[in-house]
Amino acid sequence: MSAAPRLAWRQARGAWRHFVLLAACVALGVAALVAVGSFAATLDHTLAREAKALTGGDLEVRAARPLDGETAAALADLRAKGASVVSVRELLAMARGADGRALLVELKAPGAGYPLYGRLETAPPAPLAALLAEGGAVVQGEALERLGLRVGDRLALGAATFTVRGVVEREPDRSASLVTLGPRVFVAGDALERTGLVQVGSRVRYRVLVRLPAPLAARDAREAMARRIADPGVRVASYDEAQPGLRRFFSQLASYLGLVGLASLLVGGIGVASSVATFVRRQAPTIAILKALGADSRTVLATFLWQTLTVGAAASVAGAVLGTALQPVLIRLLAGLVPFTLEARVEPLTLARGVLMGVLTTFLCALWPLLAVRTVRPSLILRAEVDAAPARGPRPWAVALPVAAGLAALALWQAGSLKLGGIFLGAAVAAVVTLLVLARGLVGAARRLPRAPWPAWRHGLGGLRRPGGHPARVVVALGAGVMLLVAVALLQDSLDAQIDHERRREAPSFFFVDVQPDQREAFARVLARTGGGVTPALTPIVRARLAAVNGVRVTRDLVRSRVGEDREGAFYYTREYALTWSAEPPPGTVVTRGRWWGPDPGPARISVEEAMARQLGVDVGGRLTFDVQGVPVEAEVASLRKVDWQSLATNFFVVFSPGALDGAPVTFVATARTTAAAEGPVAAAVAAAFPNVTAIPVRDVLERVGAVLGDMAVAIRVMALFTVATGVVVMAGALTATRYQRLYESAVLRTLGATRGAVARAFAVEYGCLGAAAGLGGTALAALLAWIVLRFVLDTPWRFEPQVLVGGIVATMALAVAVGFLATYRLLGAKPLPVLRRE
Amino acid sequence: MGGMLVSIRDLTLRLPSGGRTLSVLDGVSLDVDAGEAVAVAGPSGSGKSTLLGLVAGLDAPTSGTIVVAGVEVTRLGEAALARFRRETLGYVFQSYHLIPTLTAAENVAVPFDLAGTAGATARTADLLASVGLGDRGHHYPVQLSGGEQQRVAVARAMALDPPLLLADEPTGNLDSATGGAIIDLLFALNRDRGTTLLLVTHDEALAERADRVVSLRDGRIAGERRRAGALAP
Repeated sequence: MSAAPRLAWRQARGAWRHFVLLAACVALGVAALVAVGSFAATLDHTLAREAKALTGGDLEVRAARPLDGETAAALADLRAKGASVVSVRELLAMARGADGRALLVELKAPGAGYPLYGRLETAPPAPLAALLAEGGAVVQGEALERLGLRVGDRLALGAATFTVRGVVEREPDRSASLVTLGPRVFVAGDALERTGLVQVGSRVRYRVLVRLPAPLAARDAREAMARRIADPGVRVASYDEAQPGLRRFFSQLASYLGLVGLASLLVGGIGVASSVATFVRRQAPTIAILKALGADSRTVLATFLWQTLTVGAAASVAGAVLGTALQPVLIRLLAGLVPFTLEARVEPLTLARGVLMGVLTTFLCALWPLLAVRTVRPSLILRAEVDAAPARGPRPWAVALPVAAGLAALALWQAGSLKLGGIFLGAAVAAVVTLLVLARGLVGAARRLPRAPWPAWRHGLGGLRRPGGHPARVVVALGAGVMLLVAVALLQDSLDAQIDHERRREAPSFFFVDVQPDQREAFARVLARTGGGVTPALTPIVRARLAAVNGVRVTRDLVRSRVGEDREGAFYYTREYALTWSAEPPPGTVVTRGRWWGPDPGPARISVEEAMARQLGVDVGGRLTFDVQGVPVEAEVASLRKVDWQSLATNFFVVFSPGALDGAPVTFVATARTTAAAEGPVAAAVAAAFPNVTAIPVRDVLERVGAVLGDMAVAIRVMALFTVATGVVVMAGALTATRYQRLYESAVLRTLGATRGAVARAFAVEYGCLGAAAGLGGTALAALLAWIVLRFVLDTPWRFEPQVLVGGIVATMALAVAVGFLATYRLLGAKPLPVLRRE
Repeated sequence: MGGMLVSIRDLTLRLPSGGRTLSVLDGVSLDVDAGEAVAVAGPSGSGKSTLLGLVAGLDAPTSGTIVVAGVEVTRLGEAALARFRRETLGYVFQSYHLIPTLTAAENVAVPFDLAGTAGATARTADLLASVGLGDRGHHYPVQLSGGEQQRVAVARAMALDPPLLLADEPTGNLDSATGGAIIDLLFALNRDRGTTLLLVTHDEALAERADRVVSLRDGRIAGERRRAGALAP
């Protein structure tokens, strides 16, 4: 077997075209994977490095209510052991400028000692405490811009007025949700009371940040705290489990991007297989000579495998380098999503993984076509004309299974989950089968269609029937790339359209939160005056927490025993609920079990949202107990409901029967729809008249959501472009495979008097047909993919976007013709005679 | 010169051709002694080249047996056949069949590579020198003339010093002067090294230089004559 490497090196010389294509296919795919992998590794690394700063401390205690005695005692003990403890309160509020303009802001009032970790950067640079002293406020630049203020100006929050003393440029523990509702405003902890915004029932997030003394481990301290605090509504987290939502979001984004990268590697795999098949066919005479000289099939196979893997490995390394170089691009594209600074890193493990993926894909995709060397018979050299096609021996089906299993394993490895990998594989197989059928249909049509009267069409369609089967490779490779790119475009359009639709149709312009019962009439008057006669829809809200399920008290232990570490499950037990009541089912309600109550409901009854009921394990007839400001209210589940959370209406998990919540402290949430022009004046008037009321501008929030989606779409698009690029390389390769035939045909045609232009037109017809098939298949698959994602993942209505579909097909045709010409234009210039003589 | 090297018995090869069966070889029997030079002559299409290919195990006969150096070629599997060709045969083709992507020296070195023999470089140089191409080793086949290519092919065939040399119309693509040089080379090998030579040609003059001439016509042996002065078996 030692002959293989030596022969491989020497043999490789004559086949640079083949090896360049092979290398390009592998390198592009690996580059895509490494770029995404490095990005994910950079994120992980940054999250780990910044974990304490992002959390705000070694420990964070977080609750929706002021801390109870248990918690305070536990914190006092920690302080006694030498821990630093800082309290922080956060809430939404309206900020008002001197000219009356109002803006929703995220207000934060830290106690002394904040921040414990990381640095708060301000302009001018000064300690936060100094800037906030004596009624000072520090705000994000956006707040100044939108309120028309400058440093030194006055800013009103609730009932109090502050002086803007500086601009915050970097906040280490800015709550890292992807979409913020407004810019940040800092005021001093004791100054918050003056605003009057912290009242019973107002939505304040109480956080306590703890820096532990050296001997205390964060995990142990967290466990000890959690044991002492029975109330599951008080969340205790150590820094290393910080930002689980953010982590999950980025790990998911990275897996989706990674799958797009994997798609380009697999398209590259098609290129590898196609290029190797052509190569083996062309090398058949050499293989026959080698066999006649006494080489056995194993040696020949080893020789070609060695060549292929060497090129594959070199290309993988080159791809890894390219991917690393691209990482800063990906970071810049996604910078808007990341609430902290990312520095591009080179992660050896990611590089190694990318290279391994590349080599394995090369191996798996090359093996099948390479096995054809076994069927090349040495007697080939006895015949006068050397027939290039290897004998059609029995296909090595026994190898097909391990190859398919290997590729599937790669996909699962990259996806990181059985489910996601399974979906990817299913989609990939479906896409390949569809595109193959389409390619076969194209060739069949070219064969069966009546002969076209125009020579360009006749020869162009004839070109599709060339032996070697290039249409299948071109259509599959190009179609897969088009599918991804068009699917992203369709998804983005549908989501944009959905956001737009919500805004124009049903969505209110504002949600007003915390309207007090005695403010209702005045509030309606202000709105009618400034909003051009609009009437707000007011819904009563009672804030409460879940106290018991079917009589079993909700404690930390119960939550842990029911849902373990599943945060989403725990959410249903520990969140602050906004309860309401209603005699009639709210508009759009779909009751899935039980019945809505009649005019005389009798004792307290509730209608519960489906998912919540499932998580809590209650059904119709079950009982839930809520803690309303310390008073338990028990009610029987009368019905389960389906809620369309996508609709921008006021939706509730739990609706009570009328009368059941009488006597509880009530606030109102109001919705109102105004013209876009009236939004500013309405917000300003409401903020001036009712400083406690928070106005959430829907359009603004939707725009922020849209911006996040836009950033993600760009990133996915960039990755999808890799797949298209790989598809282009595969197409160029497949056309190169038919190079000699084309050269010969073109020579014959020109000898018979065809002009160069006529030959070019025939080629254009052929490439255009290939592009049309790939475009048609790719866009159709993209539409299907987008529909599935919209329907089953995003729960958003599908929209027919004919311009995207037509654009996808036309662009693919143009691309195919362009690539085709780039790959073959030199053939047109070849002098016919030498070509014919050679044949 | 001792013993029989090649023994062919009742060799028949039928191939399907245009819907009917074509008898390429029909009951051919032939023995070749070690050290002997045998020419197989006959018009084109008489089955000469096929006979040679079957001896090398490049194809399988419909029936009959071929024994070379005590090995029944017709019974060998793929791997054993490859080994047999490597160790027992040298093969010279009408159209040279050099590997176009390898230099002359590398083409000659292929048998060494396949056999895993050490010191191939020096021996390759010797072989090329022995065919008069000592200074052309770095040239690719396209840079060599037909005669030069065939000399490289002869050097390649002799690389591992096989007991049997098969030559299939070695001068068919060459002019008579160049062809003559090649033939001199082959017979010199037969004479000097004792390599058994089985030569296929349609050139009567060339055939006459062999110890024995076997005429093949329509896949059957049509006659056999011994050169005057050649030793009787």
